Amino acid sequence: MFNPRRWRHFDFWLLGGVAVLVVFGIAMIRSAIAGNETLADLPQRQAQNALVGLGVVLVAAIVDYHFWRALTRPMYVGLLAVLIYLEISGATTFGAARWLDLGFTQVQPSELAKVLLILILADDISRNEERIRTWGGVLRSLALAAVPAFVIFRQPDLSTAILTMVLWAAIIFAAGIKTKHLASLAGGALLIVIVAFPFLEFYQKQRLVLFLAPDADPGARYNVDQALISIGSGGWFGQGYAHGSQVQLRFLKVRHTDFIFSALAEEFGWVGAFTVLLLLAFVVYRCLRAARMARDTFGALIGYGVATLIFYQAAFNIGMNLNLLPVAGLPLPFISYGGSSLWSALLGIGLVESVVIHHQELEF
Amino acid sequence: MAGQTGGNRVDPRRILLLGAVVALIYGIFSLRLFVLQILRGSDYVAAADENRITRVVLPASRGVVYDRNGVLLARNVPSFEITITPASLPDSPAEVQAIYARLSSLTGVPIVVPGSKPSAECAEGRGIQDLVEEWTGLAPYAAVKIKCNADPHTAMLIQEQAFTMPGVGVRVSPARDYPTGALTAHIIGYMGPIPAEQREFYESRGLRIGQDRIGYAGIERSLQEILAGAYGQKLVEEDAAGLELRLVAPPQEPVAGTNLRLTIDTRLQAAAQAALQSTIDSVRARKLEFLRSPIVSGVVIAMDPQTGEILAMVSLPTYDNEQFARLIPLDYYNSLLSDQSNPLINHAIQGEYPPGSVFKMATAIGALNEQVVTPEKELFDPGEIVIQNRYFPNDPGRAREFVCYDRNGHGLVDFLRGVAVSCDVYFYKLGGGYPGEVAGGTTGQLEGAGLGILRIKRYAQAIGYGRALGVELPAEASGLLPDPDWKRINLGENWATGDTYIATIGQGFVLATPLQVLESIATLANGGRVMKPTLLRQFLDGEGNVVREIEPQVLWDITQDVTSDPDHLKVDEQWVRLAQEGMRQVVSYGTAADYAQLDNVVTAGKTGTAEYCDNIAQSRNLCQPGAWPTHSWYVGYGPFDKPEIAVIAFVYDGGEGAVTSGPIVKQVLQAYFELKAIDAAAQR
Repeated sequence: MFNPRRWRHFDFWLLGGVAVLVVFGIAMIRSAIAGNETLADLPQRQAQNALVGLGVVLVAAIVDYHFWRALTRPMYVGLLAVLIYLEISGATTFGAARWLDLGFTQVQPSELAKVLLILILADDISRNEERIRTWGGVLRSLALAAVPAFVIFRQPDLSTAILTMVLWAAIIFAAGIKTKHLASLAGGALLIVIVAFPFLEFYQKQRLVLFLAPDADPGARYNVDQALISIGSGGWFGQGYAHGSQVQLRFLKVRHTDFIFSALAEEFGWVGAFTVLLLLAFVVYRCLRAARMARDTFGALIGYGVATLIFYQAAFNIGMNLNLLPVAGLPLPFISYGGSSLWSALLGIGLVESVVIHHQELEF
Repeated sequence: MAGQTGGNRVDPRRILLLGAVVALIYGIFSLRLFVLQILRGSDYVAAADENRITRVVLPASRGVVYDRNGVLLARNVPSFEITITPASLPDSPAEVQAIYARLSSLTGVPIVVPGSKPSAECAEGRGIQDLVEEWTGLAPYAAVKIKCNADPHTAMLIQEQAFTMPGVGVRVSPARDYPTGALTAHIIGYMGPIPAEQREFYESRGLRIGQDRIGYAGIERSLQEILAGAYGQKLVEEDAAGLELRLVAPPQEPVAGTNLRLTIDTRLQAAAQAALQSTIDSVRARKLEFLRSPIVSGVVIAMDPQTGEILAMVSLPTYDNEQFARLIPLDYYNSLLSDQSNPLINHAIQGEYPPGSVFKMATAIGALNEQVVTPEKELFDPGEIVIQNRYFPNDPGRAREFVCYDRNGHGLVDFLRGVAVSCDVYFYKLGGGYPGEVAGGTTGQLEGAGLGILRIKRYAQAIGYGRALGVELPAEASGLLPDPDWKRINLGENWATGDTYIATIGQGFVLATPLQVLESIATLANGGRVMKPTLLRQFLDGEGNVVREIEPQVLWDITQDVTSDPDHLKVDEQWVRLAQEGMRQVVSYGTAADYAQLDNVVTAGKTGTAEYCDNIAQSRNLCQPGAWPTHSWYVGYGPFDKPEIAVIAFVYDGGEGAVTSGPIVKQVLQAYFELKAIDAAAQR
């Protein structure tokens, strides 16, 4: 397992791309706190998170990903237990029971759940690769994904619940679900959305309405408008690091988390924002490369799932910043402030590295 | 997907598809970024600048107004506002509540008023907490006004305790104060908020709508621009919470308004007001015997006939502009508006009344100058004369009688006696001609008899009637000098000889403001110069240095050239002197002899008892034929040889001119000469 020759295959390009994004994110967080004293130690904390995260990547990379197959069942049960515990204890922050207090730090189990679910689903499907081509197999994995998704939805955290289902869809797609089954599922999902809308929380409905009819609530539009002004005033090369007036004078809200893309677009302009897009695309590409190289379907599905996870979160966050998608609390992977989301993304990267390292059964 | 395929069974096409989706979505994002940042970038840069840059108005202090001796008539006093800056309040809700409770007990503003609607700052019926909570969301670093016009004692108490109440502050802003109040209200006027229709104009001058006030009446209004000065401004960068960070550009400093020294002598003003008020009170008391609510109003104006400087200007009833100093109280304002005697109107320049016999001086000067009669020529006053209707000369039923106020007649009357006893018939004959006595003059005549209405009008204009004289007060009325065209256009009737007759004595259609009537006599008194009446003496800077002297302005000299007249009238000086002599005789033995003589100063003057029948009189059924109500006029000036002061008194519905108004003028003249002696003694 600790054979040094295995490091030959370690994807330094992937880790390099991720490292650039994370370091850039810490720098951006430092600019985005804009003299707010209560946020002053966030860059340092994010740097510590990143160091811990580097350890996570290396450990996950060196451990053969097959090792986790034995643990998927306890993982699944434990995950559900924590999520349900959260809902019952109701440790509510900003109206959402998402945080688990571990004593020394607070984590968001739903962030970890995203990555663990990739492992669990990939494992389940790859144990019997033919099963997914039948309705029985599809529904079995659907049930596997839907139960935690429902609990997360009840937190309430609609965007993570949707992400969970997107991950499931991506994995079964990669695993070879038949096209007709896929079409039926898509139709069913649409039906559920229509039926479920009346049961959404008020703020969730409001966000959707706000997106679909932007002028419905001028007060609620403030954040989105300020994001657009921030991005638009960036021009080709931006107003300069720590010199964006929208960011530094705090007209842009939640600038170190949800709207950090607007902040970097203002300070680094089109060139900077495009570079970040390229880097994110590059990271996704390296994950897909791992999926292609994986020695078995389990590994390929991990690569595919992590690629989807990173792509989807980034796309949703940036789409929201660009006012192409409704406002949802999804962070920008590697860049937004937040320990839990950074760790879960880095854990995903570590798993992908493990797939790459162990893509050959025999090493010479 | 470089590299070899591993041993997995995932379809490479499905991997490629995800890659394609990534490329597509990120491609869309790049395009969207390009549209926002490059194509529409300048719009967003402008929006960002609008976010961060705030224009802060730097108000200029308004000019102070003094009387001619330096007595303050209008000044700026501090007005105290109690404020709370939400961002500076303590974090603990209990401490905040304690502050609210202290402030509430000090200012009397409730903490919470349940169900109150969001409103302007300082509005009645809102609680402290209501206002703070409302503004916390809007601009936490801006101070919210909790109480405006706090009394100075409360403001001081709060200021002293402010360090124990973080977030609480006292802001001082200038308010206008009128120490002399009602005494000078019609001259100084008052201020009010910028009306909606003038928003743009004042906004372009930097004034803040809803906060800054402008002159509404009096000097405050007419000299608004000079008093207001020039507002400055600065552009500052503010953060989202409203915290001021830095100046974007060098500030444009405000220029303080100019201070004014008026021509008014407040002491004389007070004497004039007292004299007029006591007369009005006694006239009203007399009328109360047969009228429920008699309308009696009046005017006194004192002017230096040599310079046109107005020393006093009283219009009664008046109002208390001090009550308007900070805001205009609705109840008080409405009560003023509904008062039939119009306390808000400055009758001295805005009231138009028949001038009565004072107007005879226009006819007099014209008739002499046009040689309608020689001054020695005696005309017969039988007490009444009858004028044939010119269209039906042989129909006695259509003839019209014109009576002298003395029905017994004055007998044979020459010019000086005609003026002195104010003989109506003498002036009828001068103005309209009379068969056998006064033939026609030469040109510009309608009837070919007497001076004629057209020339009466020209001479009246020459001595100040018929147009606004340009005193520095808003809405000066122009009066009315009728002529045949005017009558045809406005009444659809032809001019009659009778119209000329009654116009001759300042009745009928003739209307004049008290200021015009005074101006006409002052012009004759100073030898023929029509001086522009003025309230301004000096412009002063903040240190009291004279910036500009207001020089007396001669509008024209009737003995040289009446520049306003199309034919450039010129009046022979001897007729002016004769008119003066006539007016001296008015006082020495004529109509004013018993009422307006001064013990130690020779004065001259002219009385007027003008019949009127306006809408108020009609509504009260006072217009009985042959016994119309009358306005009382008297203009006097002195010393006769070298006039220093001319005073007019006008009492609406005041009865006979000499009896009612004569004594008022006499008292004002006396006060003037006494004050002059006092000042001279003080100088020595």
